Amino acid sequence: MARAITITSGKGGVGKTTTTANLGTALAMRGARVAVIDADIGLRNLDVVMGLENRIVYDIVDVVEGRCRLRQALIKDKRLPELCLLPAAQTRDKDAVSPDQMIDLLAQLRSDFDFVLIDSPAGIEGGFRNAIAGADEVVIVTTPEVSAVRDADRIVGLVEAAEKGTPRLIVNRIKPRLVSRGEMLSVEDVLELLAIDLLGIVPDDETIVTSTNRGEAAVYDQTSLAGRAFLNIGRRLNGETVPFLDLTDQPGVLDRFLGMFGRRRS
Amino acid sequence: MSFFREFFGGRRERSAETAKKRLMMVLVDDRYKLTPELIEQMKVELAEVLSRYLPHVDADQIEVSLLHEDDNDRLHAQIPLKRGQQGDV
Repeated sequence: MARAITITSGKGGVGKTTTTANLGTALAMRGARVAVIDADIGLRNLDVVMGLENRIVYDIVDVVEGRCRLRQALIKDKRLPELCLLPAAQTRDKDAVSPDQMIDLLAQLRSDFDFVLIDSPAGIEGGFRNAIAGADEVVIVTTPEVSAVRDADRIVGLVEAAEKGTPRLIVNRIKPRLVSRGEMLSVEDVLELLAIDLLGIVPDDETIVTSTNRGEAAVYDQTSLAGRAFLNIGRRLNGETVPFLDLTDQPGVLDRFLGMFGRRRS
Repeated sequence: MSFFREFFGGRRERSAETAKKRLMMVLVDDRYKLTPELIEQMKVELAEVLSRYLPHVDADQIEVSLLHEDDNDRLHAQIPLKRGQQGDV
């Protein structure tokens, strides 16, 4: 029976889709059967981030409205046969799927997969409600910025009110150098403000731009620190205990870390 | 006063510290709809009620803050008491 995990944030542009794509890939790399669902109807994006945009025939609304069977709409990943994408519809709006239909859909997926990851739209309206309707757990992505943290706090309240338990947090795009200069909120600051458990820390990393350009997950890129962070988060979701990356900006730490992967800082 | 210290030669507070303080205020407001004006009003009413039982409770001396401990938000009020003089109630 799959665990259904919704990735959400409140604020847009903090990295939900990148996180969903990378965690799905990370889990599948470790042998789990994973379905990722793009619940951002009308603003389809998970397909391009995963490089699967040319393979779409049917989408989530086609399934819900009975134009195809669920299995026909699931797109197999290019590299990992255990990883599937259920794409969003691009031409419909958020009301095209109801929370009950979402719960039904998850019920069908649960028996065939170990994990179902749901990429939530930004905001706190219908699309978000659909995305958490059938979830067993919720993961909130935020960046260390006042607007993103404020929105994340709203989402914590809404997730708890929807009786989905206390969500776990991923702090994305940390810039260790700025944090050490006291010009960026630290992970500890964000945790103290939001008072929820930490699932992972992802450093700001230019390799994300490259991997997204190519439609390949960053977890494949051995030189990507962000990719490494996402691999670790995947392992934590899988129940393993993995220490958090040390992103303290002390001379040598990043060098040593990158050195482990055969790369030097120029 | 801190304004003057900052202005005349003092170092400006680092922006992460400012961000954290601002967020603390904003989140209390978002979570509990507790604005600074409402906190002031609460102090006055607290002083009113407490004055029925205790001498010399001054609303201006009360400090109310929101703490986060053991996974719970907690309202913390500091209410300084003065010992009443004999016969002075």
